[in-house]
Formats: sequence, structure tokens, C-alpha cells
Amino acid sequence: MGADLLQSLLRRPAGLLSAALLLLLYGAALFAPFLAPTVPSAQDLQRTYHPPTALVWEDGRVCVRLYRLVDPSTAAYEPLPGQAAPLRWFSGGPSYKLFGLLPAKTHLFTVESPAVVYLLGSDATGRDVFTRLLYGAGISLGIGLVGVFLTSLLGLTIGGLAGYLGGWADSLAMRLTEFLMAVPGLYLLLALRAALSSRFPSDATFLLIVVILSALGWAGTARVVRGLVLSLRERPFILAANILGQRPTVILFRHLLPNTFSYLVVAATLSVPGYILGEAALSFLGLGIQEPSSSWGLMLGQAQDIKIFMLNFWWLLTPGAAIILTVIAFNLLGDALRDAVDPRFRLPGR
Amino acid sequence: MSRLVFLALFPVFISACTKPPPVAREEHSLPDGIDTARVEPGRRGGVFIQSVPGEPSTFNPLVSEDATSGGFIGLFLDSLTRYNAVTQEIEPGLATRWEIAPDNKTFTFHLRPGVRWSDGNPFSADDVLFTFQAIYDPRYPNRSAFDLSVDGKPFQVEKVNDLTVRIATPEIFAPFLEYVGGVGILPKHRLETAFRDGTLQKAWNVRVAQHEPGTLVGTGAFRLRSYQPAERIVFEANPHYWRADSAGVRLPYVDFLVTKLVKDVNASTLAFATGQTDAEGLSPDNVAWIERFAKRYGFLVHNRGPSPNTGFIWFNQNPGRDASGKPFVAPHKLAWFTDRRFRQAISHGIDREGIVRGVLFGRGQPLWGPETPANKKWYNPNVTRYPYDPARSRALLAEAGFRLGEDGKLRDAKGNVVEFTLNSNQENQLRVNMATVFKENMRELGITVNLAFLDFGTFVGKIQDSFDYEAGLLGLTGGGDPAGGMSVFSSQGRLHQWYPNQKSPATPWEARIDKLMSLQLRTLDYATRRKYFDEVQKIMSDETPYIYLVTANAYVGLKDRWKNIKIPPLGSLVWNLDELWTVLTP
Amino acid sequence: MTAFILRRLGTLVPMLLAVTLLVFALMSLAPGDFLTPVKAQRDINPALIAELQKSFGLDRPWYEQYLRWLGNILRLDFGYSWTYKVSVAELIAQRAPATILLSLCSLALAWGLAIPLAVLAAARPGGWIDRLTSAAAYFALAIPEFFLALLAVWFAAQTGWFPIGGLTSLDHDFLPFGARILDIAWHLVLPTLVLGLGGVAGTLRVLRANVLDVLRAEYVTAARAKGLPEKIVLFRHVLRNALNPLLSTVGYAFAGLLSGSLLVENVMNYPGLGRLVYEAFIREDQFVVLGSVMVGCTLLVVGNLISDLALAWSDPRVRYGR
Repeated sequence: MGADLLQSLLRRPAGLLSAALLLLLYGAALFAPFLAPTVPSAQDLQRTYHPPTALVWEDGRVCVRLYRLVDPSTAAYEPLPGQAAPLRWFSGGPSYKLFGLLPAKTHLFTVESPAVVYLLGSDATGRDVFTRLLYGAGISLGIGLVGVFLTSLLGLTIGGLAGYLGGWADSLAMRLTEFLMAVPGLYLLLALRAALSSRFPSDATFLLIVVILSALGWAGTARVVRGLVLSLRERPFILAANILGQRPTVILFRHLLPNTFSYLVVAATLSVPGYILGEAALSFLGLGIQEPSSSWGLMLGQAQDIKIFMLNFWWLLTPGAAIILTVIAFNLLGDALRDAVDPRFRLPGR
Repeated sequence: MSRLVFLALFPVFISACTKPPPVAREEHSLPDGIDTARVEPGRRGGVFIQSVPGEPSTFNPLVSEDATSGGFIGLFLDSLTRYNAVTQEIEPGLATRWEIAPDNKTFTFHLRPGVRWSDGNPFSADDVLFTFQAIYDPRYPNRSAFDLSVDGKPFQVEKVNDLTVRIATPEIFAPFLEYVGGVGILPKHRLETAFRDGTLQKAWNVRVAQHEPGTLVGTGAFRLRSYQPAERIVFEANPHYWRADSAGVRLPYVDFLVTKLVKDVNASTLAFATGQTDAEGLSPDNVAWIERFAKRYGFLVHNRGPSPNTGFIWFNQNPGRDASGKPFVAPHKLAWFTDRRFRQAISHGIDREGIVRGVLFGRGQPLWGPETPANKKWYNPNVTRYPYDPARSRALLAEAGFRLGEDGKLRDAKGNVVEFTLNSNQENQLRVNMATVFKENMRELGITVNLAFLDFGTFVGKIQDSFDYEAGLLGLTGGGDPAGGMSVFSSQGRLHQWYPNQKSPATPWEARIDKLMSLQLRTLDYATRRKYFDEVQKIMSDETPYIYLVTANAYVGLKDRWKNIKIPPLGSLVWNLDELWTVLTP
Repeated sequence: MTAFILRRLGTLVPMLLAVTLLVFALMSLAPGDFLTPVKAQRDINPALIAELQKSFGLDRPWYEQYLRWLGNILRLDFGYSWTYKVSVAELIAQRAPATILLSLCSLALAWGLAIPLAVLAAARPGGWIDRLTSAAAYFALAIPEFFLALLAVWFAAQTGWFPIGGLTSLDHDFLPFGARILDIAWHLVLPTLVLGLGGVAGTLRVLRANVLDVLRAEYVTAARAKGLPEKIVLFRHVLRNALNPLLSTVGYAFAGLLSGSLLVENVMNYPGLGRLVYEAFIREDQFVVLGSVMVGCTLLVVGNLISDLALAWSDPRVRYGR
């Protein structure tokens, strides 16, 4: 079944493209410390709000231009004519831990100090935006994935049980989900954030955000699963299993739930954007990921400043582009998956 | 009748937009005790538009606890004295002159004759008496009651005659005149009933302001015309105001003062830059692009010099224990924090100049003590400075027994790795930037700093209730009389952040500060107080319990067309709004 | 029918209880309370703070505070905002109309644009209208709302065609009635666009899919075979049936707009409920928060009720009452 899904997906160009893009993004996030020329905390107060450094081809090598500060009051930099520093490939740089485990020092490309390479410029304290974008990808994309995984787990269990057992379990579960869907989402988010933040150590903010977003998101998935289980319950093969005397848990976990997986994958894919945008909204309000970590939402929230537009620091808005791209990709992928599984499938509440 | 005149002419004014006809104002005879403003005489007319990021929570001075409400209240209520923000001197207000008795505790105020309230009723000493009665009444707990008391004992206020009031303080109280200048005198004839039946704190709330603005009666330059919650507040000129210019024209010149309530600073900055408001406070990083619009929309950006706001880092030096017996700060860390050399070394290790240049675009300056140069009256420039000098930091740390290990980490004499957590609140972007710079600066010294940003409520809880933190980064709004900083400087003070509410001073230098602060409170002589407070500032910079960081410059934008602008170093740009006038373009 | 309506409204009470209890409990779990920022100011006496705590009832445990609030609600006393010192009912009544207006306009925009576009797109699947609207929909769903709001503000400032924020102009009170309506409408344009864009996109996608489904149905082929003009087929038969599933989501959509307007109202300075509630949350002004949460829930239930009734009216296959 999984193989079928994959095949039908690969036949649709939109699905193929978005899947490829997402693989690229997650791959970049995974290998972020290697791909980035430096670490996200490396600041340089002499080079704040620096524009992206131009790359030139000189002496058969890729070089990065050197700049000087012309006007401190508007952070205007000018390239120094004729001066460029070569990029070094697979070179040593600040040490990091790949996947958080393996210590390493090799970066894809670096440049010898005092030159700097800013592919996407620098921010208010001179940190490389490209590096922060890569590391932030890990957090934002990670929140999407982990959150959806948690939600699916919760939704699957509760929805499955509700649909299969029926009766009071079903009513209880349904009332609970209705209740959760009735509370104005953002307010509950704020309330949960306020209540839980003091109980989580600050480096577990990632976990905190995921927990909060999942706590709100599982209701939709549960309803979907329940609906599916209800319709599947009357199918002949289930009735047969019943007659054969198989235990309810076996029927649930071996027959019913696996048949919901493809729908679940579609629902999950289509809900990831909600998590990414939710994290962005929370960080914008200052309630999400905190400094000094970086996440796309946090970076975009910090760029929510009129001087960015007026002084044309356009590179600080690239996290916004990243978010938009990722969300579009997930939506495209989700739609392609849905068309492959069952075009009539609808998600509740939207 | 005059209302109809307004209503009739106002739409004509607005629709014509560039050629407003003169708006007819009620004319009344000038009071005997008219105060003549020492300005160039100007012309009547015009509307002044500004924006404010907050919303007033009330228009009742006995209830107001925030600066926004206070600002609006100050527009329509006056006090016995006025504060000249430029000279930083106290000038006559509703009182024309006052005498201080030789015991320095009794003040006799002579009130201005002929002053009327904005509804026409006459003003007298009864109103002053009523105001203080209301303040001290235990049914209405309010901030002024505590500010206007010494050791819990209220002032004695008595009416000598209709135009004279005598106030006696229980002890010599240095900031008396300044504090009294902050008390808006309330109209007895309007609020007496509410005072009697216990509903005084419900009076003049936002609902009343919205539906019955005419009941908010004061002697100030303006009176409330309308209030649309979350949108705007419109004040109109008070036809009974007690000031006039040298040509006998009653102030204020402007017909209306419109304040838009714009919460988002991006929106209000943009509104000013595109000429929709007349004045706006600007942050240093926006100045560069705003100036590009200056010519087109006819405004100027004024540099007011350093702002009165301080930003600082401090270490928790509280040796106490919590309810379960666990010390607030781990003992080995407490040893570092209480060592002056450690603090001084850290101070030398912070690149303040870099922050000013990089984050503030050069528009700010490093801070070395509790007062900024904006507070001209009290600022002491001769305090100890700590320029960015990592070599000096390392020398000081070595002296204090710290060693840099093989792994680049600093360790104390007992071998503990120097590492601590810095807390701050996340709502302020400048603070967040300063914290990240600090972390990197410390890394160069081998010190590991973990940043933990909390929301304001949690943060305050930690530093004032649970004391469960190691280092904090915060700011305070400065300026004003040193007496306002008692709770910060005094070792028993609640805001003596590094070790508050001490029963007796923990160190000799804190004891000295305590002594100096109480000395300066008990004399009215400025020179003497200045001497004491200078020494307090020097001690604070020497011992550096607060490691001061930077202060940004204060910029304000103002449309060119306004005349009689006198820019003060501190406080609102348009403090003399009643004297401003503009030429209405034909 | 009446029994159905009453039963639906009956579910409102336990829901309100549960929601307010949850929100209240969560707020109490949050450290600090309304007086925390007051405590941080450097010149406020601790005795005054203690007195204020007592007068606000903050020195009692949270369940006691909740029960007290509940008791007051039964007497139709929704409490008192500590920030503004006016009754919560009045505060909300003051601000709610603006938000409801904005939400209704966004909903109207969403449907007004989505319906014709969806029909046109689905009429020729794969055609250029379809591709264009699909692409635009994907894009619109991906932009974070607060970012779009800032773009709108910047756009308004650069062009000067629209006001930068607010709901009314300075001279609003003096304008004749017609001009006043226009004034409000002019201020509503940008916030509605920002808030409604996501709605358009979402509705468009769902509607387009529905229309495609319906187009395959037998009665449509029959109608075409009968010789009915395409326009009548599309709009009288297909649309009515495609709209049905959408009607049932109106309630959720409306409630979603209420909470979604929070970000937009903050950035675009719109004087509505969203700004009020957000500030109340941050300041822990309990009664305001509880009051507005109740309003939100009530609107959801009522919205759902209305959409179910609309569904019953439009679709004769659906009938209620068991």
C-alpha cells in the first residue's frame, strides 16, 4: 500500500516537485552545521546589517568581495574594488556537533578571517543570516514533523478507540474534540503558553511549543480517524473478523487502523503547515522560540520592523520566503497525496 | 451655543483642509492672577495631532498607575506648581508664590486669584483642601498617598483663607516641591458627592470620559472633548485657562489636540514619516530613513541627546535561602558574584562601543552609572568607567584567582567552571541584542553564559519573590529626583535588585549609600543634596553591583510649522503645548 | 425545529463552563498576576500593593476566585476590568462590534470572491483560470498573517491610498451619515483583505473540489441533456449542491476569524476585540479574558446553529430532530 502510494505520487509532477523540495529542505536542516560557514551565535558588531557579500570568479576560484562601512547611520556598505578573498571548500571552521552527537569541524565552505562570507547578509548583531536560516530550518521544520507525529499518535489512538468502541467512549471523545475546536485557538495557545512556560526549562522551549500546538491539533485528526473507522467498521472483512472471534484489540490494531494510514498521511501532510505557521505566529508574539536559538518564525518576527523595508534590508525577510515555500510545498504534496489516495477525502472544520 | 458654533464651523474647516476659517472660541475675561507666558506672541488656531502607544486606563488621578493615563490627566488638571522642563526649575502654577518656614517643614502657598474651572466655577483653596482629603482618605488607596507621606505620616494641609493654603510635612522632605507639583487639583464642586458616598474611584473612568466628557473638569490648558476607545482622544482649548501671552491673548493657541491611540510602533512611525501626525518619539535605528521624508512632509528630526533610560546587568548577591533551605545562589557562584574584581572584570569585557555602533547605528552612548547625562540636574560625569578592555578583564580575573583552562574555559581557584544563566524579558528587542552580545563577549573571556528569556511577569517574580536566578538584565526609567530611587539605592529597598530587603547593610559601601541617601532626603539645599548624590553615583560605579550598559539617544520628530518649541532634555517634547502655535497656510 | 434549536443552545452552557474553567485554571497556573507589572515599578509602596491585591481578590486561591466569578455571572455581573475600571460587559460591547464587522466583511469577501472563482475554475479544470487561482490560493495560504499585515501597512504608507490603521478618520463625527459609512469602509479595506485572503484561498480550494465532484453527478448530466443553458446548470444546480458542505463550516470559520483577527488588529491598529483580549491576556486581567472567551464560544455555537439551519433550509435531504 505504501509502495502504491509512492508510485502514484511520483507520477504527479506537483507532488514530485514538492516532495523533492521538502527532502532538500529537511536534508539541509539535518546537515545544517556542515553546510553553514559558521555558527549561528558568531556575532560581529563591526558588520551589523551587512548586505549579502557578492561572489566573483577570480583566478579560477570563487571569491567573496570585501566591503567597508560607508555610512554607519544607515549601515551602508560598499564593496572594495578589486579586493576579494577566496572561498575554501571542505575546510575547518568553528566546531559543531553533527546531529547533536558527532563532533566535527569541517564546513562545506568557509573563508579566511578577517574576511566574511554572508550569503544572505547579516542581522542586528552581525550574525550570518544564512547560517541562522539553516539552523532555524531544523527547528521550524522539526516542530512541524514532531508536532504532526504527536498529533497523529494521539488522534489515531483516541479516534480509533472512539470509532470502534462507540457508545459512551465515542460520545466522550466527540464532546472533547468539539470542546477543543470550540475554544478560540489563539487564546488557548496563549493561555497554555503562559501556564506551561514556567514549568519547562528554557532550552526545552522547542518541546513546549510542540506540546502546545499538538494539544490543540489532535482533535481534528481524531475526528477524521473516527469517521474512517466508523465507515470501515461495517465492511465485510471486519464483520468476518468479528465472527471469527478475533479480539477487539487485534481487530483495531491489525485491521482497522492500518487501513486508515494512507488517509492519515494525507491529513498529517496537510496539517504540517499549521504547525509551521503556528510557530511563526507564536514567535512573532514573542512567545515562541527564544534567542539565542533561531527559528524561521523568530527571525521573521524580528524582521517585523519598518526600517527593514525602508532601509532595504531585504535579506532579513528571507525566513518569510522560506516559510512560504515550505508551506506551499507541504500543501502541494498533501493535495497530490490526497488525489492519489482518495480525491473525495475532506478534512473537518476547514 | 458655542458648541453649535464649533459644530457648524468644524466640518467646513476639515473639508476645506488647507484653509480653515477661524474657529470661534468662547471668550471670557482674563483672571486677575493671569500668568503671562514668556514667549513670542503667536496666533490662535490649528490642530495638533500626535500618537501614543498605550491607552488610558482611567482619567481619575487617584486611580491612575501608568504613565499613559497620567499624561492625559496632566493635560486637563493642573497643580500648585509647574515644572519647566527646559530649565528643570519649579515655577508657579495654581500658586503664584510660596514661602518656606525656617523649620523647612511648613510651606505656605498663595493661590492665583480669579482662576476658574473649565466649567466656569471659581477655583479656591477649598479645592486644594478637598484634593488632599481625597488623597489621604483610607477608602481610596492611591499612589500619591504613599508618595506624599514621610514614614507613613501624611502631610498636614490647612486652609488659611480662600487664596492661601498651608502644608506641613512631618519631617524635612527634600522632594516636597517636586512631588506636590505632581498632584492634580481636583474640583470639589464636581467630585464631592462621589467622595462622600464612597464612589470616588469610579469617577472619571473611561466610560464617563466617553459618554460625558464635559464632566471632566479641570484648570489645565485643555479640556476633554471626546474619547473613542482604542482610536483617539480629542482635547479642546480650555476657554478659562489662566495663562495668556504678552499681548493678552489667552492660551493655548491651538484649538484642538488630537491624540491617536496607535499601539504598533511601526504604524505610528510610518504615520509620522508620511506627515499624518505632528510629533513622534523615534528610535535611533529609524532616524536615517525617516529623515529622507523630512523635506517632503515638512518636519525635522531633533536629537535630544541621551535618553534617561538605563540598561544594566546585575548578579544575584542574595545569600539567603528559600523555604526548603536551599540557598538562592549556589555558594561557589555567590563567591564570584560578591567579588568586586569579578564584576569589574566582566564590565571591562563588554563591548559597549560596539553595541552603540552596531545595534544603535552610532546613536547612543555607553553608560557608567545610575544616571544618564539626560538628567542634567543630577548627573555625575566623574564616575568610574570601564572601557572595553579584555586584557584588563583577564588581569582582574587572574588577581581574583581565576585561571583559564586548556579547554578555553575559565575556572575559579577551587576549579569550578565559571558558568551562569542570564535572565531577561523578551519583549524588548534592544535588550535581547545586548544579551546576545554580552554572551559572546563573555565567551572570549572563557565564561559561559546561558541566556534564558522569560516573559515579564515570570521575570519579575524571580527577581522580587523567589530570588531564584543568577544574573539579570533590565532597565529602569531614570531622570527625576534622587528621592524617587530610594527603593533602588537603599539596602532595605524592594528594588535594590542584587540583594533587596536587607535588614542591615551587607557591605560597608551599601551602608555608606544608605547614609548618603537618607542625608540627601533631609535637606532642601540643592548643592548639599547634589554632593551626596554624586558620591552615591561614584560608589555605584566603583563597586558596580549594576553593570551599566548603554543608553540610546532620544530622537523626536516634529513638524516645522510649530513655533515656540522649547526642546527639553527630559520628558515630553511638547511639554509647553499651551504655548505652541502654527501658521495656518492660506 | 424549535426543539432542535433549544437543544443546541442547551449545549452552550456546559461548554461555556468547561472552557472558562480551563482558561481560568491555565491563567492561574501562569506565574505572576495582574499586579506584577505594578510591583516592578520603582516607586510604589508595598503596602499599597497589598491593599490592591486584597481588593482584587488575588490573595485567594484560584478555585475560590473562579467560584466567586461564577456566582457573579449567575447574577449577570460579568465583572470588572482591572485595567480600565469599567464593567466587562461594557468594555466588550464597546469593542466587539468592530471585530464582528471586520469578521463579517472578511467572510463576505472570502465567499464573494471564492464562489465565482471556484465555479469558473472548476468549469474548465486545468484551464488558465484554474491554474492561476490555484497558484494564487497556495501562495495566499502560505503567507503568515502578521507579515501580510505589515506589508499592508507599508503599502498604505507608501501609496497613501489607504489609511494606515484605525477605523475612523479624525473628522468622522462631523461627517454626514453617508460619508461616515464611506469613511469606515475605506478604513476596512486593508484589514479585510489581509484577514480575508486566507479565507478566500481556503474556501476556494474546498469549493472547487466540491464543484468538481458535483459536476460528475448524474443529475448534472441529466440537466445538460435536458438542454438547460450551462450558466443555469452551473449556478442553479451545481453551486447549490456544492455549497452545502461549506455552509456547515461557517460557524467554525467565523470563530476562527475572531481569534485570527488578533494579529491583524495588533499590527494594523484596528480597535477591536482582538487587541483588547490580547492585552488582557498579557496583563492577566482575568474578567476581561473570561468574558471575551465566553463571547467567542457563544459566537461559535450560534454560528454553527445558523449554518446548520441554513443547511437544513437549502438542502431538503437534511432534516433535524430525531
